[in-house]
Amino acid sequence: MVLTGAVRMSEVGHTRRWVLGAGLMLTGGLAGCGSDADSPTPVDALQPLLDEALTLAIAYDRAILSLPDLATRLSPLAADHRAHAAELATLIGRTTPTSASASSPASAMSAGATADEVIAAFQTAEQSAAKNAVAACRATTALRAGTVGSIAACRATHVEALR
Amino acid sequence: MTEALAAALAAEEAAIYAYGLIGVRLTARAEVTAARAAELEHRERRDWLINQIAALKSSSGPLPAGYTLPFPVTDRDSALDLAIKIEDGVAQSWRPVLGVTENDDRTTALAALTDAAVRAVRWRRLNAVAPLTMAFPGRAG
Repeated sequence: MVLTGAVRMSEVGHTRRWVLGAGLMLTGGLAGCGSDADSPTPVDALQPLLDEALTLAIAYDRAILSLPDLATRLSPLAADHRAHAAELATLIGRTTPTSASASSPASAMSAGATADEVIAAFQTAEQSAAKNAVAACRATTALRAGTVGSIAACRATHVEALR
Repeated sequence: MTEALAAALAAEEAAIYAYGLIGVRLTARAEVTAARAAELEHRERRDWLINQIAALKSSSGPLPAGYTLPFPVTDRDSALDLAIKIEDGVAQSWRPVLGVTENDDRTTALAALTDAAVRAVRWRRLNAVAPLTMAFPGRAG
């Protein structure tokens, strides 16, 4: 999953794209492994969408902590993702995880990134997330299509809101 | 299925009507251009729905003779408010179509919902309405 433009991070020598991508993949991977280890129940097809929503919400929260001037702009987007996570958890029949992942992307973005860089990174992340949600909507059941479709549309509106 | 398609068609017809009123209250070139583009997109969606309903060998029922506006449209601000309301309504009308379609048709319905939601964000920004987004575009209430 490619999430951001390639902005060099001075201290660690990785590009932000790499760190963000690694953060999301790690979060999704851990969720899948945990489910397999703890329960014989197969992972729900919407679980990756839920994980992505939580990761983005946490990323926005951390970006706001790092750059408080962005709070007015980013807080509603974080709230949208939390609402998605809660709704998806209800659909899947699981409790929404509340703990922040240490590998969530905004921890990388807070390392000296400017507001413009953070916004650009989130635009790319939301574009990717919207594509994932569109694919999920196409593949899901008739009963779930409305909710997943609204989530896909919301992610697309986030791209527009970040312009 | 026809019921959901017919409701979306009614919303698209209402949007086409509304943009005729909205356009005359806008003066900035970019806003007029955006309104015209939106109207064209709504016409394309309407035509797609008409074809879908025809393919089902069904009828969408008669169009209303006229529309009652939710508030008077007298200036730019009220025109933009109407544009927001129209796009939110169009998004709501497409959401049930997702559940009665599959594959490419569902993708088309989702694109229609999404495009309406994105246009609503643009109109909210132009009219300084916050927040710009909603968590579940297309969900009533």
